[in-house]
Amino acid sequence: MLALTFETFRQLTVDGFFRGCSYGLLGVGFALILGVTGRFHFAYGFLYTLAAYLAFTFAFRVNWPFWLSAAIGVVLASVGGSLIEARVYRPLARNAGPTALLAVFVAALGIGIAGENAIRLLWGANTQSFYGPTKEPYTVWDAIFINFDVWQAASGITITLALAAMLRYTALGRRIKATRANPDLARTIGIDSDRVYVIVFFLGTFCASVAAIWYALKYTVDPAMGTLPVTYAFVTAFLGGTQRSPIRVFSMGIVVALIEQYSSIWLEVRYTQTAVFVVLVLYLTYLAIKSSAWTARFSRPRIARA
Amino acid sequence: MEPELAPAAPTLPNGDGRRPMLAVEGLQAGYGRKQVVFDVDLHVDAGEILGILGHNGSGKSTTIRTVLGLNRAFGGRITFDGRETTGHGSRDNVKAGMAMIPSERFVFADMSVSDNLLLGAANDPDGDRRAKRMELVHQLFPILVDRADQPAGTMSGGQQRMVSLGMALMASPKLLMLDEPSLGLAPAVVQQIFGTVRQLADSEGLAVLLLEQNVGQALKIVDRCAVMRSGRVILEESRDEMLARESYWDLF
Amino acid sequence: MSLWINYFVQILLYGALALSLNLLLGYAGQVSVAHAAFGAIGGYTMAYTSLEHGWNFLLGTLLGMAIAFVLGTLVALPALKLSVEYLILLTLGVSSVILGLLVAYPSFGGTYGLISLPAPNLFGWHLRRPEDWVLPALVAVAIVYVICHRIGESPMGRVLKGLREDPVATSALGKNVFAYKVSIFGLTSALAAFAGAMLAAWLRLATPGVYGFAFSLTIVAMVIFGGIGNLAGTMLGATIVVLLEPVLRRVIKIEAAKASFVQLIIYGVALAVLMRLRPQGALPEGFSLWRWLRGDRAPKTRVEMTAEWVPTIVQQTTDRPDTDLPVAVQERHERTWHEAPVVLRTTGVSKRFGGIVAASELEIELRKGTITALVGPNGAGKTTVFNLLTGAIVPDTGSILLNGEELVGLDPHQVARKGMVRTFQDVRLFNRLTCLQNVMLAVQHQPGETFTALAVPNGRVKQAEAETKAKALDWLRFVGMAEFADIPAAALSYGQTKLMSLARVLATEADVLLLDEPASGIDTKWVDTMLELIEQVRDQGRTVCVVEHNLHVVGRLADHTYFMELGQITAQGTIAELTNTPRLAEVYFGT
Repeated sequence: MLALTFETFRQLTVDGFFRGCSYGLLGVGFALILGVTGRFHFAYGFLYTLAAYLAFTFAFRVNWPFWLSAAIGVVLASVGGSLIEARVYRPLARNAGPTALLAVFVAALGIGIAGENAIRLLWGANTQSFYGPTKEPYTVWDAIFINFDVWQAASGITITLALAAMLRYTALGRRIKATRANPDLARTIGIDSDRVYVIVFFLGTFCASVAAIWYALKYTVDPAMGTLPVTYAFVTAFLGGTQRSPIRVFSMGIVVALIEQYSSIWLEVRYTQTAVFVVLVLYLTYLAIKSSAWTARFSRPRIARA
Repeated sequence: MEPELAPAAPTLPNGDGRRPMLAVEGLQAGYGRKQVVFDVDLHVDAGEILGILGHNGSGKSTTIRTVLGLNRAFGGRITFDGRETTGHGSRDNVKAGMAMIPSERFVFADMSVSDNLLLGAANDPDGDRRAKRMELVHQLFPILVDRADQPAGTMSGGQQRMVSLGMALMASPKLLMLDEPSLGLAPAVVQQIFGTVRQLADSEGLAVLLLEQNVGQALKIVDRCAVMRSGRVILEESRDEMLARESYWDLF
Repeated sequence: MSLWINYFVQILLYGALALSLNLLLGYAGQVSVAHAAFGAIGGYTMAYTSLEHGWNFLLGTLLGMAIAFVLGTLVALPALKLSVEYLILLTLGVSSVILGLLVAYPSFGGTYGLISLPAPNLFGWHLRRPEDWVLPALVAVAIVYVICHRIGESPMGRVLKGLREDPVATSALGKNVFAYKVSIFGLTSALAAFAGAMLAAWLRLATPGVYGFAFSLTIVAMVIFGGIGNLAGTMLGATIVVLLEPVLRRVIKIEAAKASFVQLIIYGVALAVLMRLRPQGALPEGFSLWRWLRGDRAPKTRVEMTAEWVPTIVQQTTDRPDTDLPVAVQERHERTWHEAPVVLRTTGVSKRFGGIVAASELEIELRKGTITALVGPNGAGKTTVFNLLTGAIVPDTGSILLNGEELVGLDPHQVARKGMVRTFQDVRLFNRLTCLQNVMLAVQHQPGETFTALAVPNGRVKQAEAETKAKALDWLRFVGMAEFADIPAAALSYGQTKLMSLARVLATEADVLLLDEPASGIDTKWVDTMLELIEQVRDQGRTVCVVEHNLHVVGRLADHTYFMELGQITAQGTIAELTNTPRLAEVYFGT
């Protein structure tokens, strides 16, 4: 057990908060996609990686300014997300009928695997450093963090609030919420769910792409960088609730990260990541015990039949 | 507001040159390999209320869902406002002026009343017209003004029906299709809502398809009836002829 | 040369892992992404015990299998009540936990794992060279193949497929789907551990890299390429996955480092394309890349036929099958009803959901050799009655006696075994099984559905299977569907599926049949056929209860009718009596 000093606790909290902003942003994007469209979008990790690599390419191969390159990477990857929905998931789901969920899952898996290795092929399999603005450490109340952390947090919070506001106050937001809550009624009143899905994929991938840039700056780019984030996105989205407000999901990301950090007080560091998954498994078990229905389902209403 | 039911509008005889707002010919429809509607013919004029009566599973809901474009028809033709709409999706049909209120889950329960109403006008780019429609809905159902921010799912059954009707009206529809609106409602509430529908048919020239198992209430406002059983229309009568019947057991 | 031998052994061992996943995912329909993690349990246990304690690798393997079996069973318990989405998440979590612990626990070598394992000692024969492994690997695969095949192609396999297609319907036919789900998880986890241990023994190391999440996905890919429910195809899948890279390198001459990426790109894209082209349930039953390449398409030969096919077993068709019987006849049937012995009796059955009364003080009697009907307006609670009777919902109060035995508290599969079965409004056939298999699944007391019978290779299972097949064919003949025995249920028209659903419940030979809207959604000729068949069933002495909305169908069929409104039975008698009661007309049609 780690000797717990206040300083250690503070540092863990600060680390947890900033990591949590990353998990939160990933979760917000994934929750939006899964909640509205029901697609098990495992290729989320690939798009995350793609955003970083595209930014990297524009910054170092084409030699454009860093912020411009980052912006292009984010936008291109987001468009990629929409394309995958429009060209792969949608036609597939139309064809597959009742087994659409599994078919989309397997296809997403395939795209993820193919994409990750295409990146290896095109950019090389090694980790590479992504330089941009200079790293600057800050010390506030004796807790250490860096400027990239602050930007991650700021962008995460801003994007989450913007999404929440969009959902709450705009016509598009209403359409998205309607499609999420009651897809059959949404179609009945003339909402174009195809278009809503494409927009949602753009927004969700946007979240992941931004998180990818900060990660790349802080650490490196490597072709497998998307695997762990997609897992955290999944866990955060699920625990936060795919039908709930982005603010709630984002906060859950911070909770997850804090659990991870605080568990290092009792467990050695190498077990902390596992601790998160143990919590996940226990929570699922609890859900199963609590469920009186035949099976617990993701709270996504099925299309009503006449 | 005392629901004063207006007398049924006089039925115009066929062949007067006026084309029906909706004409369904030889419709075959269903889900996947399950055919539920076999060779159905219907028509309804502007300002007319056609009651479609029948038991559960008789194909009433499937018929209007196919008209709206939620299902693809297996065969037959649908003509709306002079243009053929067979095979059109719900988005196009709603834009063209169709509206439908389903029998279950007919409001967005977690969203506020005003959000529900605004969603009804989702396809209307004209801000002024939207505002006018909102005023109309508020006039018809004043309670919705008071409860504008309340989640629609927390309101009573009758109030939810009003929300759904308001939602449909926001899009300035020419055709309104209602699927068993009286389900689960007290007779007084049903009277009120049906009264409003009759009023709208008369004042706005709305064509209405009213699907009901509740023959008694439906006959108070319809002009004509079609009875469906096992996917076919077995009977078409005027309101008076239907009222004159001793029992309805034969039909169901 | 030894290079190709190594590939061969790798194909065999990967194949062994994939075969056990096919049993879990392909046959039983349980989507697990934790399979490689269970393989890791086997591999690490074997590695650790042989490295640290000098155990023989076979002993270590057995221990690994035992641990995996227990863990797999534990994982299955929450999985019982979780749908596919949650199951994927659960197995993802379990996989991460297992691998995380294996990496973190110091004695297991961290991220490097356990390396330099001693050469495996197979009864004195040390397996050192690549060639040494060929025979043991073949034996290992053969063992796994035989077990998976024996189970998968047996009556138990049929139940597993039922679990995959529709667990609710399978349970309603008397099969304990929960027990099957748990045992198949346990068994396939143990088999995965076995294959994983063999893999570690061959590689002479056990590292996280070998068993990572990516490997789980690879195993899923192998199963899907080969075809769900297709064991031979799985070996093909393993071959593709293993050989793709060397083929790219040697035959197409792509440079070594790139070849491994190109291979993964190819099969990632192949997965997506495969889903796009043949997404029906991932892949339809019996489909495999192998067959598709060979040019065999799925048996669609009879589909054109089904579109125009109408039932012909009924000798005379009336224009309006749904005309009431004359009142005198109705009354005679009613008298017969009153004289027949009571088979099912409910007393005081009530159920509330929050503030809503679903059922209130229900007193229903079903009598032998008669047809009882339940009618009522929308929302009266008719389907709730069926759910209460079969145990899908537990009543708050009251008792349900079937031939004197209390049913309250029993699960649906137990109720079915006691002799009461039901059909469903939405039919719920097992789409990827043939008509014959659908009906065979319903037959009770099949020894081939138990592990104990399958473990002993006597002829008992085979003989029982032949008898089951004969019985099933009889029932298919009864409903007039015998010529469709080998057609998958997915290819049938709706009317045909209704006939099949009747055949299925008849095959259970249950005393009491609850038929949920047997005549709905079908055209006149079909209604005629259904009514004729139901009457024949009644004449054979079974007890039938029917929920119907079409009152004239009820009028023709029913010996006795219960009228329900708002969860209560407010009237009963003949249809003529009920339709002559003004108050009921008000309730049904409104005022």
